[in-house]
Amino acid sequence: MPRKNTHEIRDPIHGFIKITDDERRILDSAPVQRLRHIHQLALTFFVYPGATHRRFEHSLGAMELAARIFDVVTHSKILCDEVRQFVPASQEKLDHWRRTLRAAALLHDIGHLPFSHATEKKLLPAGWNHERITYEFILSEDIRALLNSLTPPIRAEEVAKLAVGPENAKGEDFNIWDLLLSEMIVGDVFGADRMDYLLRDSLHAGVAYGRYDLHRLIDTLRILPSTAKDDKDDEKGDRDSGEPELGVEEGGIHAAEGLLLARYFMYMQVYLHHVRRIYDRHLADFLIHWLPDSQFPTNVDEFLTFTDDVVMAAIRQRARQGIDAAKRLAKREHFKLLYERNPDDIRVTPEARQKVYDSAIQQFGEESVRQDWFAEPASILSFPVRMMDERVVDSRARSEVLRKLPNAKVDYVFVAPDRIDEARKWLKKNQRQIITAEGESDG
Amino acid sequence: MDRLQKVAVLTELADRMRERGSWCGETHLQKAAYFLQDLLGVSLDFDFVLYKHGPFSFDLREELAAMRADGLLELEPQEEPYGPKLVPTPRSKELRDRYPKTLGRFNKPISFVADKLGEKGATALERLGTAFYMKQKHHNLDDESLAKRINQFKPHVLVESAKNALREVREISSEAKKFKAA
Repeated sequence: MPRKNTHEIRDPIHGFIKITDDERRILDSAPVQRLRHIHQLALTFFVYPGATHRRFEHSLGAMELAARIFDVVTHSKILCDEVRQFVPASQEKLDHWRRTLRAAALLHDIGHLPFSHATEKKLLPAGWNHERITYEFILSEDIRALLNSLTPPIRAEEVAKLAVGPENAKGEDFNIWDLLLSEMIVGDVFGADRMDYLLRDSLHAGVAYGRYDLHRLIDTLRILPSTAKDDKDDEKGDRDSGEPELGVEEGGIHAAEGLLLARYFMYMQVYLHHVRRIYDRHLADFLIHWLPDSQFPTNVDEFLTFTDDVVMAAIRQRARQGIDAAKRLAKREHFKLLYERNPDDIRVTPEARQKVYDSAIQQFGEESVRQDWFAEPASILSFPVRMMDERVVDSRARSEVLRKLPNAKVDYVFVAPDRIDEARKWLKKNQRQIITAEGESDG
Repeated sequence: MDRLQKVAVLTELADRMRERGSWCGETHLQKAAYFLQDLLGVSLDFDFVLYKHGPFSFDLREELAAMRADGLLELEPQEEPYGPKLVPTPRSKELRDRYPKTLGRFNKPISFVADKLGEKGATALERLGTAFYMKQKHHNLDDESLAKRINQFKPHVLVESAKNALREVREISSEAKKFKAA
């Protein structure tokens, strides 16, 4: 019986994901296999018990979707004349870039710390984040040699750039084709990363809000000249900007709205859930206590030994020894919500949370108070939409939903459970004096 | 500069750009902030990379979104096919009133950028921003090589236009010396 050169992997979101022999070698590499032991949503399973899925299956899903996007948007019958020059014409080149794109999507998360995003800002040296680790790991000796040994070889530099995108490939300039390809993986609006994790997180958390019409969306994706000019710029000479980017046919606008609404809802319901966020803080507190020099290593060999299992074992052990941050996690004795942002306070000062936090520290001591905040920029994102009459328009001119999509933004202050009743009474009595615009003036 | 000082500077910049006739969409504000920071030395602490339509900061995009969530900036919808304008709100003016020293310190650099860029459209700003970015990054290259490089990364910017943009950047840079932040 001839040896198979493609392999199928069952996936709860996409059905069968097919991979080649070469891709299987990448999949079997230590950095990708490690992702079997990194939870996609950190400690969210403390709140949504089903959310125990891992980065490994998400990476496969991102690879699958990136390739589906690529196949649709580079199809010669679909490309419009204004952008054709930016897409490789030969099938050989397209095949090369498709393989590179799939490898990049498969490797795009290999730099994640244990428990994903939960802890990275505090626990890496200045200037490092998981994308930089991903970038450096793809360029490391082992992965470079692996990619170089494929038939035909794939260049590690190209994979690394596409895997992390222009925001994180510091010092690298991206041409238009590079930008388009990286947008297919890590793009803010139509990246395969986002498309996959919304559906996957939604399924596993049991929260239906993350669902949207994936098939319709991908089917209507196009490389389009941007509306570019978001003004009435009539200059002659250059080909009026029109720099290509990923957009949709008019028929896909509701699917795109669905994706961005799903993202907003998932942020508000799951990713920014206040209990999930305080567990992230307790985890960071624990890791600062537990790690040598309070930081994760950034060299490949050491880094690969750190997984969620290793950290969880340490948490349980330290909890038995009475270490506070470990007990908070192991015994679910998390801090309780004292304050969250509200429009009235923000009207007085955008720094309301900081003021409550500073006052609460004075009142209850640093060890009993934590704060957290996050803003998600979905509502200012735009993309081109090609109308039935061939005009290309800005998505926010076309869609009232996108114009009015709110920003997911949270501000939280938490207090230790044994002080929370006292703290709530204190805040109720003093909130008006604490949240003021005074004292901010530098005049 | 703390966050609210930064917000005061950005909303002041947006208002000044609008006064000079700018459409003031995200592209305009991104490029104006880039010149304000990298040419005029106003330490906004944003990291700019070459992206769609020239130099772009993902941190600034996040800040603009946060400012919108805080009611300091609004999207003003426009007729098709155009994207919305970014409009500072009256609440942002109240906030700026509390930062007279910060705004006084950066008044000249902000005015300079608004004067030089306020009348330019997104296409011209992309060209100018890209020229300045390339010049900063490859300061040892001559204009001919830089123009070719700009055209290589942004093929819709013709080499001749890139050369003109480089010339304009040189003129603006020379004038900017008098207005730099201390």
